[in-house]
Amino acid sequence: MTALRAAGLSIGLLTSLLASADTTHTATHREAFAQPFAGLDEGQLERFFRGRSLFRQAWVVAPSRDEAVDGLGPLYNRVSCIACHPKNGRGQAPAQGQPMRSMLLRLSLPGHDAQGGPKPHPVYGDQLNELGVPGVPGEGRAHVYWQEHAVQLGDGETVMLRKPKVELRELAYGPMDAVLTSARVGPPVFGLGLLEAIDESTLRAMASEAKPDGVTGHVNAVWSVERQRAEAGRFGLKANQPDLRQQIAHAMLGDLGITSTLAPEQNCTPAQQTCAHAAQGGDPELNALQLGDLHFYLAHLAAPARRQQTEPAVMQGEKLFSAIGCTACHRPALVTGKHPLYPALTQQHIAPYTDLLLHDMGPGLADGREDYLANGRQWRTAALWGLGLSERITPSSGYLHDGRARTLEEAIVWHGGEAETARQRYVALGAQARQAIRAFLQSL
Amino acid sequence: MRRCNRWLAGLLLTFSTLLSAAPQTVVVMTSYPEEVMTRIEDGFAQAHPQYRLQILWRQGFDALPYLLQARQGGVDVYWAPSPGNFARLAKAGSWQPLGVNPKGLPAQIGGLALRDPQHLYQATELAGYGFAINATALGQLGVPSPRDWPDLLDPRLRGRIALPDPGRVGFAPVLLDIVLRAYGWERGWAIWSELAGQARLVTRGGTLVSDEVTSGRAAVGLSIDFFVASAKANGEPVDFVYPAHGGLNPAFIAITAHSQALAGARAFAQFVLSETGQGLLADADIRKLPVRPSVYQHLPANYHDPFVAAGLGAYDYGNGSSRERLALVSSLFTQWLGMPHEALSALWARLHAAEAAGLDVSAIRQHLTAPPLDAEQAEAKPLLALFAARQDNGMTQAPASDQDELGRREITWQFNAARHRAEASRLLDGLGQ
Repeated sequence: MTALRAAGLSIGLLTSLLASADTTHTATHREAFAQPFAGLDEGQLERFFRGRSLFRQAWVVAPSRDEAVDGLGPLYNRVSCIACHPKNGRGQAPAQGQPMRSMLLRLSLPGHDAQGGPKPHPVYGDQLNELGVPGVPGEGRAHVYWQEHAVQLGDGETVMLRKPKVELRELAYGPMDAVLTSARVGPPVFGLGLLEAIDESTLRAMASEAKPDGVTGHVNAVWSVERQRAEAGRFGLKANQPDLRQQIAHAMLGDLGITSTLAPEQNCTPAQQTCAHAAQGGDPELNALQLGDLHFYLAHLAAPARRQQTEPAVMQGEKLFSAIGCTACHRPALVTGKHPLYPALTQQHIAPYTDLLLHDMGPGLADGREDYLANGRQWRTAALWGLGLSERITPSSGYLHDGRARTLEEAIVWHGGEAETARQRYVALGAQARQAIRAFLQSL
Repeated sequence: MRRCNRWLAGLLLTFSTLLSAAPQTVVVMTSYPEEVMTRIEDGFAQAHPQYRLQILWRQGFDALPYLLQARQGGVDVYWAPSPGNFARLAKAGSWQPLGVNPKGLPAQIGGLALRDPQHLYQATELAGYGFAINATALGQLGVPSPRDWPDLLDPRLRGRIALPDPGRVGFAPVLLDIVLRAYGWERGWAIWSELAGQARLVTRGGTLVSDEVTSGRAAVGLSIDFFVASAKANGEPVDFVYPAHGGLNPAFIAITAHSQALAGARAFAQFVLSETGQGLLADADIRKLPVRPSVYQHLPANYHDPFVAAGLGAYDYGNGSSRERLALVSSLFTQWLGMPHEALSALWARLHAAEAAGLDVSAIRQHLTAPPLDAEQAEAKPLLALFAARQDNGMTQAPASDQDELGRREITWQFNAARHRAEASRLLDGLGQ
């Protein structure tokens, strides 16, 4: 390692060299987040494209002649997966006073449900579904208003930060008292199979490592519907899903109202009678083959390869990123374990820049929502791979869980809690050094 | 003064009530993908905040029975690239006058009418048919970029053409019809038999054809322009060729006879046809062809202008073909060329080999290219009526079954085609091929 350092090779560059070319993609165009792993055979590609069609599919209100894709709702947010993950990338927070498109609002009451997950609102459930099929009123509308405040950096430069304030209107099923709300934009969906293939023991080892600057990191313990037991959480903004299949099933039900074997009940609460009596599109609506195809697609979406790694600013930024403490959570090098279904995901050296652990991110980002072991200030470390292509692919998308950060700098400055020390170091840097860190992030 | 204050307070209350009132819902049935609807929804919401769209998504075959039901299922506007549905629903009295100012919107492009004579429905955008090409792959094969349909019969392209299966891909039947109208029934089907015989059938349309071409697995793909133009605008290595004998597919918009939100429906139709709405069609993720010619002056220089191309005779193909005709040619393709595709492909490979060896294959060609149905039979009204009835039931195709009249006909076509293939095979055996 010393020799490598002497040769000027950084950890990230080393990781990139180790990373299998089959699991990354060098495309930099606007479809770069939608590329399959290299080396899929014809049958696998066919399955990948079937999954892609489903991901892009507009689901249809039942009953329909289009039986394979009917069953939308009765309550839902959008008609397709791609609506909240445009170009497989981040969703977008709405402009001032505008309705949500690729953003949703989680709802909960203080406390937990029977499995330890969030306690849903008795009338409105776990998520505000703004739309309903004909005859079923949508639950209401959420409008976002932004509140801005200024933060001064060490060199006197000012960054304007904005925070969303959600206003609920047109509530169709009565008032929504004492509810906790958490606005979320859709996260990127590539590289998920590789994150799924990281061994639980790797997560626990990272959690138990001693870290500097008061950084800790916890593994969430969540309920596996398929295996009927508590497991490590790894997907979702609070790591509240144990695997990709359950994440897909949960999103299909929550966002589109599509049932599956892992989420077989329609998303109607007892108070929503018209919803309960609406036509269904099958039992379940997403059949096992379709769920498998979606899983295959998302599991085999390649992560973008790094770019401009040898540019001086990028190299400097990479060193600074590590030096100020960011890599304590945004881990540059991980090795996957054995994936239970897909050998291509096994034993891969990857550079996702996440540890998949929960961290206290401070009061500024807190949403107050508890989710299994995650408290109201904790979030799962976001993966940073592909970050540099986001501006090109989805130029209007922001960063962080609710898209509040319009720039990478805003996103960094929002960090607090366990990341407070790293944030302070960033804020204290000069403009050139801060720019170098951003150049590094743009190379991911 | 007190009276005046009360009046003012009342006015303010009314004003604030208006401001906070929920927008009126306009129900739009469409088959457009997310990218189109999101941008149009956003644009419309900005222009007309007093209305809100509720999108009901249905493919064309599924939309028809929905809109034929009582009170049209609560739909206010139907907007879709399924021209046959608009004509069928007009016959059923399903529309009311569109009520949109047609100024600046031509009634015709080439052979294609852009609105019906009663102005019940109006074209909102166009999509052109042609060839997605991978210039690198073509170069490696030593094949020049195709300019028209017969260029695709070059044997060097064997296995490298992606052909969307007309039985499974919604836009593909028009591809068949363009060639049949341009070259006539006999010659047209001869082209299709040979082309199918050296192409790979792609079971889904859309971006899959572009994928095949951008990846280099195919050197040419038959497609609608916007899939390819969008891929190109997003940076993918693909080009699109509009053939000398091209065709356009119009999307129409109409307002249902039972609309409960007429003003909102008209506002939406007007918006889609406005300069602003038409301009949205050029978005990199949409890339449709506007029907308002004035919009093209604001678009990138290489943006295809069908009005200019039509002036050069590129779009003589009109929309005279009924949906029944399209269903018929699609079914004929499936029974004759699609279902036995592997056997057909093997026969064409043997024929090309014999031809390359200088052997006379004219009789064999005759067996492989003669359609099981002649042009006159294809125009027979009873036969077309059978296809119309199938479509009214929301089906594009059905497995051929001897339990119904149409199925029995289709089985006959299969049998006829099999006989010709067997004879072609026997003749090729005789040539030692």
